[in-house]
Amino acid sequence: MTAPSSPEAPWPVRTVARKVAEWIGRLGEVWVEGQVAQLSRRGNAATVFLTLRDPVADLSVPVTCHRDVADRPGLELSEGARVLVRARPDYYVARGSFSLRATEIRAVGLGELLARIERIRQLLAAEGLFDVVRKRSLPFAPAVVGVITGRDSAAERDVLVTARRRWPAVRFAMHNCAVQGPQAAANVIEGLRKLDADVSVEVIVVARGGGSVEDLLPFSDEGLVRAIAACRTPVVTAVGHETDTTLVDHVADVRAATPTDAAHRIVPEIGEQRRLVEGLRARARHLITTRVEQQERWLESVRTRPVLANPERLLHGRADDVAQLRTRARRTVVHRVEGAERDLEHARARVAALSPAATLDRGYAVVQRADGALVRDPAEVADGERLRVRVSGGRLDVRVDREDEEP
Amino acid sequence: MSNTEQTDEPTTTYEQAREELADVVRRLEAGGLTLEESLALWERGEELATLCQHWLDRARERLAAAAPADDED
Repeated sequence: MTAPSSPEAPWPVRTVARKVAEWIGRLGEVWVEGQVAQLSRRGNAATVFLTLRDPVADLSVPVTCHRDVADRPGLELSEGARVLVRARPDYYVARGSFSLRATEIRAVGLGELLARIERIRQLLAAEGLFDVVRKRSLPFAPAVVGVITGRDSAAERDVLVTARRRWPAVRFAMHNCAVQGPQAAANVIEGLRKLDADVSVEVIVVARGGGSVEDLLPFSDEGLVRAIAACRTPVVTAVGHETDTTLVDHVADVRAATPTDAAHRIVPEIGEQRRLVEGLRARARHLITTRVEQQERWLESVRTRPVLANPERLLHGRADDVAQLRTRARRTVVHRVEGAERDLEHARARVAALSPAATLDRGYAVVQRADGALVRDPAEVADGERLRVRVSGGRLDVRVDREDEEP
Repeated sequence: MSNTEQTDEPTTTYEQAREELADVVRRLEAGGLTLEESLALWERGEELATLCQHWLDRARERLAAAAPADDED
């Protein structure tokens, strides 16, 4: 063991280098998972150099390996590939540089990646994060739409252009960030927090164009899925192609097939809405107009009914009756009068016949006693009795004076 | 017989007037009424018809009032 170093007895570089190499060697052999950031082969040099980046944290480590390890058939090592590396820490004393010496490299296959996503999916599904009952309905015509997407990306353009065309009044709260690579998930989560906190934002769209499974990996990040689940504001995801499914699609309130489809889901189409409204209005108007017309026709029919249209008909009938009655009445009366006149004539004739007037005219006289009785026999009257004598010209009151009474 | 002083907005609704008018016509057509009854009924019929006309005219006016907006676009 070498004596401890001190200013008076400093270690030479080689000693320090050796000690560091020793320390580093203690790590021993490890399996490391990471993403190939750079891959460089110098001609047919025996050694291949690559940089392995941490899948989530922003740091990486240099790796060297023999060409055979890198060119192992079936490996197809390429930049961006997710790999598992068996390696030992290697301290290159000559230049004091650290690297991992890889003895075996395995590609983290697509299957591996998908398997991992599936594990996370089952975990979150079991927690009920994907339950339909959690899905919130989207607002009919949101005034402000939060949009999380790559800066100036096609996805951004599709969402904005389509949404504005459909509903010109819409406004956007943009959050542009990385939608790929290790930072993507964290950026999107930050965007979600910001937009969710903003009360004026009524719906949030997370949009990203198509990409490989690796590219879309951040959108199956557990943290991001939980962030979406925690949002108060409804979230619409439009990630990848129609066929791609990432975990965010399961937790989102609405999964749109494409960014354009997302625009169709979040805002109504103004022309369509106007036609709808106009249609309803016209129908209502038609219904009420027909109703009024119907009633007007009914009223017209009632008014033309004879009993109302010409009431004088009532009178006619009656007038005729009256007229008839009147004539009959008159006829009857006339008959009667005539009859009466005839009777009168008879009566008069009889009176005239019986009437003493004619006799009196011929000079006869009628003698009556005080009580009006006619005197037919002198014996009936007593001497001195007052009598009344009627002659044609009038009446005489007389008294009986029997002077020369003959028996 | 019926009071004919005209309040600005008749209290009888259209349906009431219509119902009574239909009844008046039925009775007139059935006949067997005294002259006085027929006349009175006829007068009532006229009054009811005017009332129905009033309501329908009002409906027309209100429809027309809403119409201008339609001709706009």
